[in-house]
Amino acid sequence: MIALENTKCECGHQNAVGTVLCESCGKPLDKELQNADTPLEMRYDGVARRSQKSNPNIIDRIWNFFSSVKIAIYLIVITFLTAMLGTIYPQENTFISNSFDPSVYYEQTYGLTGKIYYMLGLTRTYESWWFIGLLVMIGTSLVICSLDRVLPLYRALNKQQIRKHLSFILRQKTVFKHKLEEDSEAWTESFGEALKKKGYKVHRDGDALLAEKNRFSRWGPYINHIGLILFLLAVLARSIPGWQVDTYISVPDGDTVQIPDTNYYLKNEKFTVEFYKEEELPEQLRGQNRAKLFETKAVLYKCVDDCADEPGAKPVLEEVKRHDIIVNDPLVYKGLKLYQFDFNLTPRLNAVHPVLVDKRTGEIYGPFHLPMKDAELVHELGPFTLKLDANYMEFAIGEDGKPTTLSREPNAPAFVFIVQGPGLAPEGEPYIYFPMLKDKERFAQDTINRELADKIEIRVDGMENVDFSEATTHLNVRVDRAVPYLWIGAVISMIGLLMGSYWQHRRIWLRVDDGELSLGAHTNKNWYGMRSDVAAALKKTGISAEPKSLDNGGNNA
Amino acid sequence: MGKWRKKIQVVILLAVFVIGGYAIGTALFGEERTGQIKPGQQPPEFKLADLEGGVHQLSDYAGQPVIVNFWGTFCPPCVKEMPEFERQYEKWKDKGLVVLAINLSEDTLTVNNFVKQFDLSYPILRDVNRKTEKQYGLRSYPTTFFVKADGSLMEAKVGGMTEEEINERVERLLQL
Amino acid sequence: MNLVDFSSDAFIAAFFLYCFAFMFYMIAIAGKKWSNRDPVKHEKRWSKIAFVVSSAGLGAHLTFFFTRWAGSGQIPTSNMYEFMTFLGMAIMIAYTIVFMIYRKPLLGMFALPLTIVIISYAAVFPQEVQPLIPALVSPWLKIHVTTAALGEAFFAVGFAAGLMYLLRVVDFTDRSKKGRRARFWVEFVLYSIVVIIGFIIAVFAFRGAGYEATFLEEKVSIDARGVESTKTETVEYTLPPIFKPFNSQDVSVQPFLGIDKPLFEAPYWMNGVNAGRKLNTVVWSIIAGTLLYGLLRLAFRKPLGAVIHPVMEGIDPEDLDEISYRAIAIGFPIFTLGALIFAMIWAEIAWGRFWGWDPKEVWALITWLFYSAYLHFRLSRGWQGLRSAWLAVIGFVIVLFTLIGVNLIIAGLHSYAGV
Repeated sequence: MIALENTKCECGHQNAVGTVLCESCGKPLDKELQNADTPLEMRYDGVARRSQKSNPNIIDRIWNFFSSVKIAIYLIVITFLTAMLGTIYPQENTFISNSFDPSVYYEQTYGLTGKIYYMLGLTRTYESWWFIGLLVMIGTSLVICSLDRVLPLYRALNKQQIRKHLSFILRQKTVFKHKLEEDSEAWTESFGEALKKKGYKVHRDGDALLAEKNRFSRWGPYINHIGLILFLLAVLARSIPGWQVDTYISVPDGDTVQIPDTNYYLKNEKFTVEFYKEEELPEQLRGQNRAKLFETKAVLYKCVDDCADEPGAKPVLEEVKRHDIIVNDPLVYKGLKLYQFDFNLTPRLNAVHPVLVDKRTGEIYGPFHLPMKDAELVHELGPFTLKLDANYMEFAIGEDGKPTTLSREPNAPAFVFIVQGPGLAPEGEPYIYFPMLKDKERFAQDTINRELADKIEIRVDGMENVDFSEATTHLNVRVDRAVPYLWIGAVISMIGLLMGSYWQHRRIWLRVDDGELSLGAHTNKNWYGMRSDVAAALKKTGISAEPKSLDNGGNNA
Repeated sequence: MGKWRKKIQVVILLAVFVIGGYAIGTALFGEERTGQIKPGQQPPEFKLADLEGGVHQLSDYAGQPVIVNFWGTFCPPCVKEMPEFERQYEKWKDKGLVVLAINLSEDTLTVNNFVKQFDLSYPILRDVNRKTEKQYGLRSYPTTFFVKADGSLMEAKVGGMTEEEINERVERLLQL
Repeated sequence: MNLVDFSSDAFIAAFFLYCFAFMFYMIAIAGKKWSNRDPVKHEKRWSKIAFVVSSAGLGAHLTFFFTRWAGSGQIPTSNMYEFMTFLGMAIMIAYTIVFMIYRKPLLGMFALPLTIVIISYAAVFPQEVQPLIPALVSPWLKIHVTTAALGEAFFAVGFAAGLMYLLRVVDFTDRSKKGRRARFWVEFVLYSIVVIIGFIIAVFAFRGAGYEATFLEEKVSIDARGVESTKTETVEYTLPPIFKPFNSQDVSVQPFLGIDKPLFEAPYWMNGVNAGRKLNTVVWSIIAGTLLYGLLRLAFRKPLGAVIHPVMEGIDPEDLDEISYRAIAIGFPIFTLGALIFAMIWAEIAWGRFWGWDPKEVWALITWLFYSAYLHFRLSRGWQGLRSAWLAVIGFVIVLFTLIGVNLIIAGLHSYAGV
């Protein structure tokens, strides 16, 4: 950039190096620009936007890079193009199950394209370092672009000259020339009045006039950018440890489960689901179970004593909150939020309360409490003593012919007791008991127990003696401390957006030289409205002009 | 602006560098979402009781190579490999090898009955409420973690192992 | 009669009024050249009639909306049919506003068919009032969906004006490479619109004939214990099967043109019965659309763009550029508010996470980024006019993908049923 030695305008004002239009009178400073006929480039009113150095150092170069709108547009475009790629296949974070293995899943489900997708890191597009890097660059661009422009703009708009150079006025994009019949000052006055009625701030200098409206809308984009920067910072703040938590817990009916990495425990007192009745569903959806409502009666506890994560610790819990959690209505306590996410209606047997029947005498002893897990090892029932010898959660006969268990869930529980009592061997006789009727029949409990089965029986009398969880609720645990700041950023951004989009900054300059009216107008957007404002005001002073005729060409924003 | 310009530019670029670096850094070096422990990483600490009531922490064995094996009575391959682990333990314990077998949250009676059948000299630890298995990102059983003496993971092997397979890995473990 | 039935009648009334308004706009513009009339007066008279009729249509449409709401007890924006009809209504609102600012009847000639196509497309989807799943029960549903649709409606008007600009400006006599390329792409846009119309016609034609074909897919899975379980999924095709779902059996296939077996099978990587159905629908749309386009080309003997171009002569392209830009500038804040901010608020309340990179959310963000790029592009010289018009057209394609493509092609939280 050639440094202009003489930047003093003919009006007497000294301009900074790089100024395009004189800061005072608006006359184009560059000789070539002076002689051209095209409408003037009014960006920043033509003031010097940055100091032009002949040897930009590294700081300047980085600054200029991020200050460029072209680069900003590139960044936006690259960001949304890569975002598109991330929607081709489901992202890793949509899978919650523990058994999900991304290194095989994508290849298995989608073949070669899935494998390539995974290798390129696209399965984690939005958490990848390069996507975050793009967002960081956009944030940087937001800061630097705005700073670089808002200050010169403010300077330019703050001190505006009323009487502008003729070439400035006549090379605006909306121009009107007219021979005035009446007195110029009187006409200017009435024109000013007409504009005032339209909400313009009018400044006069004899027969020169500057009318301005809605300057505040120029700050709109900058306020919008500030809002966006705040928003991005709030998003970033979520990676501060403790600021964001997102896990899932499964709580069967009646159970209390610790929320991982916290001192809180959640109890599911009862989970209920209500389905739409057949009549309530339209024909096409009949036969499907559509859930109308699902709800967890939840209680939140805090551990107040013996909370340390030691084996054998028995945490003492105190209730802090109670809430019926439904979708869209979480349990909220001190920033901790528990959302209804999903459920499972597979029942789980928790405990039974069987009785011991002495078949010979007909006496019934008990009931006694027999939970599936951690049952008492010794039960005294009348004259009988039951010693729990072995338990199997899902009973089966193994390959070696010995009893074994197929899982750790009580799907087919079996208990082996050593029974001591009247008429039985002193060291006790083994008796195997299946709480579930289906297993009793499948494994032929009475046959296995042989003679003992003729003497005693352990059975459950009535469903009231069976304790099971009907359902398991899946809840989503969330903490997100950055959210309030997000909303603040979003609101500020919205305000800036409204300011900038729904109002336009309009200015009208005019001067009368020997009865010759020269009028020029400029707006940052919506030239249609600018022209109609000028035409309407002219009409009020008795001059008719078609808005379209005021158009002086040039590309419009 | 003027003379403040340079200073402001530097401040802003510095802030961008720091904040941006933090953002990108956490993404680059963050833990795998699946919670899988990768070789080279430190397996998480645990604090579990053994069958006699003694408490063991992983850090108790710092400086020694450790095999952490997750097992359950319902898992035939787990059961099969326990005597193999015992033989390997006998073979290598003088070289400092530690074997910890963490049961997958089954109840006391189940675990005791099971262990009675074998003569195991290494500690059997009891996980509670599947907490440790979740922390270790377990997906199927058995899973055995071979931890180097410096505390970082050498290998996580999923599935049952023959004595030879265990032996080969122990040799590698002890060389490191 | 109950309110919901009445609302359907109001909807049909609106549809026909829109069609008439479209015809009157065409008469207003094309009829200027008819002999023995003063073109200015003619245009003024007929555009007034057209505007009154289109406003009446909007009134009927609003009636449909509110009576359906009252009759069903929930705001009619919760399934594809309801949402697309609402979008059509919003486009009419946006058009009415933009028309009142700029008073260009030519815009009506494009905005109205756009609305008609959109609500016809809506009618393809199941129309019954469907009860809401629990996740959708919230006042924020009304606020988010309606505001977003209004923003998109303004983008639609911007698209119409942009398309008009292209048809006005692209030189159909230019034989140079650049000229041919420009003509090709304009024609391609028109062809795509014809394909959508073809799809609608095909669906209604076969639906009217009561066509049906059913397929069944059995999925056998073996769980960890070695227990086999079979899941059967059936799908009903309303278009004759060119592609049947992968790995499925025919249950019943009505014959069409003498063929009673599906011609091909969907490729292996299209999992599931619904993927096969969608592929079939897409193929039918292309066939029907291409046939229709072929017929139009035969009838007119020149590209559709060249047919429409002469009609555009009466309008200054700069005005079209301004209208397109203004519509997008009005719509952008509304879209930001509705599709992003309200969506985030609702997501935070319903699911506890304001943003989850769900495909629908991502595409809303893509749309937002695209239009903000558009606004920034306009700051540079050289990007107003022709390039701006292309951006407005592409932008609306992105909007349509966000609204329809994501739901039908990509699975996720926002999945809907289809045809």
